[in-house]
Amino acid sequence: MMEGHRAASTRRFTFAAGHRYWVESWSREENERFFGRLTVPHGHNYMLDVTVRGPIDPQTGMVIDLGELKRVVGETVVERFDHTDLNADALFRGRVPTTENLAIAVWELLAPKLGADRLWQVRVWEDPTLFVDYRGPDA
Amino acid sequence: MLELTRVYHFSAGHRLASPSLSPEANAALYGPCYHPHGHNYYLEVTVTGSPDRVTGMAVDLERIDGVVRERVLDHVDHRTLEEVPALAGVVTTGEGLARAFWRLLAPAIPARALRRVTVVETAKNRFQYEGEAS
Repeated sequence: MMEGHRAASTRRFTFAAGHRYWVESWSREENERFFGRLTVPHGHNYMLDVTVRGPIDPQTGMVIDLGELKRVVGETVVERFDHTDLNADALFRGRVPTTENLAIAVWELLAPKLGADRLWQVRVWEDPTLFVDYRGPDA
Repeated sequence: MLELTRVYHFSAGHRLASPSLSPEANAALYGPCYHPHGHNYYLEVTVTGSPDRVTGMAVDLERIDGVVRERVLDHVDHRTLEEVPALAGVVTTGEGLARAFWRLLAPAIPARALRRVTVVETAKNRFQYEGEAS
């Protein structure tokens, strides 16, 4: 991942959110047969690790001002999802809020703000035993 | 690129000893690790895939959990690794275990989905295996 002068910085965020696995176009029986207990509304203490990479600025010595990263992710992701029902979010209309889809949604929210060339990876932890890494559609 | 990682836990006893070396040579080579001891291991299994357009799931996590439990955890949890038939001939270093677990898991996980097996022996030691070079 590191070519030449490139470095990476990662900052961790947390948010708590509710969700359930449910495909709108399926009947209750189909949903329950396929997803089992995941159809019951429940929640998680999510953790999010956002990794940005790029050259180290010769003046500041930083890949990114972690204060800026904290502000951008806070406004764009944490405030949007913290203590909300993910299924009610427009991002998950017709898209089941699995950990996989949540990682992709976080990427899609952050890439325009941070720049797809700077944003390298988002890691979404549903709980301490499960995480998904996403590095964009082209990686 | 999307990777999903599941973290599993087991506790097991082991010792590092090469069958081709004398007790003296093993003690000299492996030092304290030659003495029978044990660890609280973590096993991380990483699979890759694209989320299904309808279900949003890249892999069937229940199936992965079942495969890892039946092929690895049930054999090693609260066992002495040197006595586990599935690990016969394996020097139970972290990297040796990662490769052995990969070989136990790969046949039961859909083709090319298995990306990485990581054995966390202690909070200070992590060992990754990504398969045979092809």
